Amino acid sequence: MSKARVVIVTYSRNFSDLSRPDSGVILAMLKKGLEALSGAARAEEALKSWFRPEETIGLKVNTIGRRALSTSPETALTLGLWLGRTVGREENIIIWDRTEEELKEAGYKISTSPGSLKIFGTDNRRAGYQSEPTAHRHLGSLFSRIQAEFIQASISLALLKDHGLAGVTAGLKNYFGAIHNPNKYHDSNCDPYIAELFETNPIRRKHRLTILDALRVQYHRGPSYHPRWLAAVKKLVFSLDPVAADAVGWKLIEELRSQNGLPTLKEEGRQPSYLMTAEKLNLGQSRLENIEIIEEEV
Amino acid sequence: MDRRDFLKGSLSCCGLCLLPGLSAAGFFSPGSPLPASRLSRVEARYYRKLPDREIKCDLCPRFCRLGDKERGFCGVRENQDGRYYTLVYGQVASLNVDPIEKKPFFHFLPGSGAFSLATAGCNLSCKFCQNWEISQMRPEQVKSVSLSPEALVAACERYDCPVIAYTYTEPVIFFEYMFDSSQLARKKGLRNVVVTAGYINPEPLADLLRVVDAVKVDLKAFNQNFYSEYVRGELQPVLQTIKQIARSGTWLEIVYLVVPTLNDNPAEIRDMCRYLKEEIGPDYPVHFSRFHPMYLVKNLPPTPVSTLERLREAALAEGLHYVYVGNVPGHPGENTYCPKCGKLIIERYGYVIRKKELSGNKCRYCGQTVAGVWS
Repeated sequence: MSKARVVIVTYSRNFSDLSRPDSGVILAMLKKGLEALSGAARAEEALKSWFRPEETIGLKVNTIGRRALSTSPETALTLGLWLGRTVGREENIIIWDRTEEELKEAGYKISTSPGSLKIFGTDNRRAGYQSEPTAHRHLGSLFSRIQAEFIQASISLALLKDHGLAGVTAGLKNYFGAIHNPNKYHDSNCDPYIAELFETNPIRRKHRLTILDALRVQYHRGPSYHPRWLAAVKKLVFSLDPVAADAVGWKLIEELRSQNGLPTLKEEGRQPSYLMTAEKLNLGQSRLENIEIIEEEV
Repeated sequence: MDRRDFLKGSLSCCGLCLLPGLSAAGFFSPGSPLPASRLSRVEARYYRKLPDREIKCDLCPRFCRLGDKERGFCGVRENQDGRYYTLVYGQVASLNVDPIEKKPFFHFLPGSGAFSLATAGCNLSCKFCQNWEISQMRPEQVKSVSLSPEALVAACERYDCPVIAYTYTEPVIFFEYMFDSSQLARKKGLRNVVVTAGYINPEPLADLLRVVDAVKVDLKAFNQNFYSEYVRGELQPVLQTIKQIARSGTWLEIVYLVVPTLNDNPAEIRDMCRYLKEEIGPDYPVHFSRFHPMYLVKNLPPTPVSTLERLREAALAEGLHYVYVGNVPGHPGENTYCPKCGKLIIERYGYVIRKKELSGNKCRYCGQTVAGVWS
């Protein structure tokens, strides 16, 4: 069995404002990451091999933490515009999350204009949730029509955070924002719900790429914003394997916790067991020994 | 959007049923889904503040522990910067005048109109939920109208209803609104009834029982496996609730929705009836209701009437006095029979009372006291 590949790209200098990173730097990090991930000489070649020009591509961001702690708009917009230019048309890119209120508070500007990149929430009157629930294993949920109907390919552009219940929230859990009732799936450390949600058709069949925004990482007391435990990590994490990406995200969080004298997530009884469940469901690799980690710098 | 569009849309998508007369009379503005920031923001009761702006909810046996900006399992209570708020105070998602028999209450003011309401949300997640289009939603996902306790009580009086019923979804999750409205309604001489799955902690329940007059508890099954698999809850707290209500003197009725093959084991039903008789006595009505395929359980047929009849017979054989068949209009199991002389004393057809042979609270034929609240 071949190893899953995860690429970590670190920005070696300092951002002038890490909450508003420079888009030129972000683009360089994106290109470096995708080149290392694909092995292609140019990142654009990789994008063209993963996405088709006629596809509408969703970039699922996480904005529940508002501006203080969300997928940075600069990262999402830089990726979205570059993706549009490279693969097809800008108007076929949708940056989205649950609500427009959260998107706006996180610094995104809602846009539904024809001919341009779209940014809107499931609560937009043109979107909404599907009217019939999807039942899958332990789940029963209405899917966002953005995920289920509007897009053909999906990127989980998630924020990497500690999570008081799940242990870690990253690319897989980001899709909790694609259903109407995530509050029903936080017991038992969100296990098996996170893995089972990813296994549903509207997600698994469309997901192509995970990118974790780890420019700033809440490594303790997440998912809420606590500046005391927020680290400037200046990393983006890339993988085609959604489970491996999150497993490496977990590793980064444990490293930060260790550096700051905090117990491991396992010691706190909240290790992200959903990653092992996801591996059992053949969604990807959860064990580090089965993951090739490539580190790059910009 | 005009009123016709509103009503059409609300009925078809998110389950908001309004009383047209009320709407036209100016009690409400037609509702639409509100963004979360515009929902009500009334501080919740029954929670503890924890370090680092976390809170722990003590309302129901889930004891949700939540960080800032997080919501509980119910989806309607949110931690905002270390304080816990209900987002559904006065945020009514369904409103109707129903016969009280529809709840069902068969031994509580029969024939009365119940001014019935609900907000979005539920602290359980039943796969067979019959009201999932509002119960399994967050408040910003359904259309709602804003209705203060004062406006609610005034509307109830205007419609000449002697009873307010907190129903349809799970009233426990809109506890603060229900409690304040009930207090106010009592002062006006109205009665309050609650239709609940009984998933509530003893302390809030004790407070609630001080202001309400009757509670109908949905007992989903008599085994933990069913509660784990199909309800996402625990059985024991519900049994505790049933006992606490009975001991408080508040009128109680129990409904058991019979889902074919899943919770219709006669031996288990007998165990349940023995338990109820021993713990709360034989006089609280038990309704065996017919299931219809809904929500996530669409692969099963409606409950055969013969199953309901068998379970009713089993319950009577175990010594319960008032056992009913529900959701089968015209079935003789809808009627009340005197536990002493066996004569028919209340004849029903669906939600309609056809005959009542009670003198006060006694059987007109033999003088036997019939348990209930009759006036």
